[in-house]
Amino acid sequence: MNNKIIKSFLRIFILFSVALLFVMCKSAKTEIVIGSPLATAFLYGWDAEKGIKLAVEEINTAGGVSVGGKKIPFKVEVIDTRDLEMNVPVNDALMGMEKLILEKKADFIVGGPIRSEAALAAMDLLSKHKKISILTTGALTPAYTKKVSENYDKYKYCFRITSHVGVMANEFMMLFEDIKKGHGFNNVYIMVQDVEHARKGGEYMKKLLTDKGWNVIDTKIYPTGASDFSVGLNDAKNKGANILFLWMDMPESSILLKQWSGMKLKALPMGFVNAAEQPGFWKATEGKGEFLLVNLVNGGNAPSNITPWTMKFVEAYKKKYGLEPEGYGTSSSYMAIYTLKAAIEKAGSLDTDAVIKELENIDLMGVYGKISFDKKSHQVISSLDPEKGAVTSIIQWQKGKRVQIFPPKTAEGKVLLPPWM
Amino acid sequence: MDILVYGTINSIILALMSLGFTLVYSISRLPNFAHGALYIATGYTVWMLLNSLELSYPLAILIGILGTAASGALIYRFALIRVRGMEISEVIASYAIGLAIIEGLRWGGLRGSTFTLPSFMSGSITFFDVSIDYQRLIIMVTGFAVFVMLYLFTRFTKTGLAFRGIAQDERASMMLGIDSDFTAILSLAIGSGLAGLSAVILLPLGNIVVETGYNVLIFSIAVSIIGGLGSWSGVVVASFIIGFAQILTEVFLSSHYQMVVALLAIIVTLLIKPSGIMGKQKELEERV
Repeated sequence: MNNKIIKSFLRIFILFSVALLFVMCKSAKTEIVIGSPLATAFLYGWDAEKGIKLAVEEINTAGGVSVGGKKIPFKVEVIDTRDLEMNVPVNDALMGMEKLILEKKADFIVGGPIRSEAALAAMDLLSKHKKISILTTGALTPAYTKKVSENYDKYKYCFRITSHVGVMANEFMMLFEDIKKGHGFNNVYIMVQDVEHARKGGEYMKKLLTDKGWNVIDTKIYPTGASDFSVGLNDAKNKGANILFLWMDMPESSILLKQWSGMKLKALPMGFVNAAEQPGFWKATEGKGEFLLVNLVNGGNAPSNITPWTMKFVEAYKKKYGLEPEGYGTSSSYMAIYTLKAAIEKAGSLDTDAVIKELENIDLMGVYGKISFDKKSHQVISSLDPEKGAVTSIIQWQKGKRVQIFPPKTAEGKVLLPPWM
Repeated sequence: MDILVYGTINSIILALMSLGFTLVYSISRLPNFAHGALYIATGYTVWMLLNSLELSYPLAILIGILGTAASGALIYRFALIRVRGMEISEVIASYAIGLAIIEGLRWGGLRGSTFTLPSFMSGSITFFDVSIDYQRLIIMVTGFAVFVMLYLFTRFTKTGLAFRGIAQDERASMMLGIDSDFTAILSLAIGSGLAGLSAVILLPLGNIVVETGYNVLIFSIAVSIIGGLGSWSGVVVASFIIGFAQILTEVFLSSHYQMVVALLAIIVTLLIKPSGIMGKQKELEERV
């Protein structure tokens, strides 16, 4: 009788142990899922994807992320939000992000959404699901991190590791002043794309330029997809523009540069020009984009020696993908993964509040300078000195190469003027 | 002066984009909604022939245009022929084919702004203080030549006369021995070939991006509706109206209203003369 009871007890014990083991195995974290909502058909999407995947590959090859003494690899789930395409509603990007959270079980969000409107709308979704997100590409509106500082408890999950319009505009102004001193230019003609960040960027630049005594001749706003800029360029020519300030993220902006070169317009083009960021721009414009000054938002999106890690990153990227980092979104997406790794390791867990705290306290020398976040707004702290903060990168196309000319501490060349100027 | 010069160039560009769409509709009464997709596919084909197979530019252009013409013929022969006469089905089928082509190109990795075709001639001239690049001059000359050749083709060749016959009265033409389906295949081939031709001369101005396919379709429809569906002369008139309206909008209002102008022109035309400026279709109904 006793034997029978013992046997039954043993059977129940074994069964319970097996079930417990199964549940434990099931709940043990075997990978950390990074969800990346990106417009993958566009530069800011695919280069971010490449940057994220490169960092994940490097980290996983080195053993993964150390969480509470256990090494766990990263896994990347990318979803195409298509938010840079014309007529694609913001809601589509939000649905994509929700799919990453609910279906793909993303632990963290890194990347987009890319369009400012979509990124701002996504903040409520991140708050609802309590998911930490590091915005690495696209969205340049200062409103993103302003929302965090105004309502910290709700939006504390949102971080941005790239620069924004406010910082970029001020740095453009420094460059403008340098050019004024060097060449005596004073007349600016602004051409922007009809999207939120470009319109706001153009307006802000106009205000800053006017306040500094520059003569802003006119501002032209072009619809996305515009393919002829001749009227505006002729107007700039007739009104004596010295500088053509551009803010566009549409591929058609390379047409503008071809027309500028064809007309031999005596105005130096500079600004935020998506099409001119990529290494292939030179071939695509048959060299007609030479002398264009482009803001790549973050350092490391073109070869330079900002920190010892910059060229290491550039070489690793070239080795994996066969070309140099392509533009805005590459270095920041790469660094977001390393930043997240450092925060998780310091937190020793994947607990949201613990990781937020460690992200707020992060101090990491990265590809484009020191990475640290403002504790109130969660905006990466920018600086002109890589030792003090994240630096931007303004390059000029010179003889087929993207030469870093700003900030001065990281410059590897000087601003050149076209021969017809 | 720049309004006159760039208004004319802009108008010819619009006319070249829309001519193939109108030609197909005027002959076979088929709204070819794959027109924009065929346009952009030609650009990518020529780019690949140039850069992957390293063919000479003229040969790549020739193969690109002929390939697009053949694609148009095949689209009719294997897809549209089955739904011919069912207007909604024609629109859905051709739009679906166009969508498949455009999204297929995107899915195939043809994305970004680094796909470009070289200009036929680099450099520019200054005309009355207005700078014009040679590529735009080539577009003007080509546009004019295409219209003259089409005029001669439809008036002095047997096939061209058959086209006109079918366009005027399909049943009467069939009684005279003109094969309606064969004419439709030919019209799709020529219409698609014209989309290809416009692509190879217009795309060197900028770069090849898949979204252009949608823009070309929108402008083709706008021009055709305003000019009168199926009217070739209407295409010219409508192109000049929209072309100049866009330039005037840019000069006197703001460039970001350009698309609004095109869409507004469609609405006004539909309200005042639904058959379009030179359109014959529904004219009798309108009078009644």
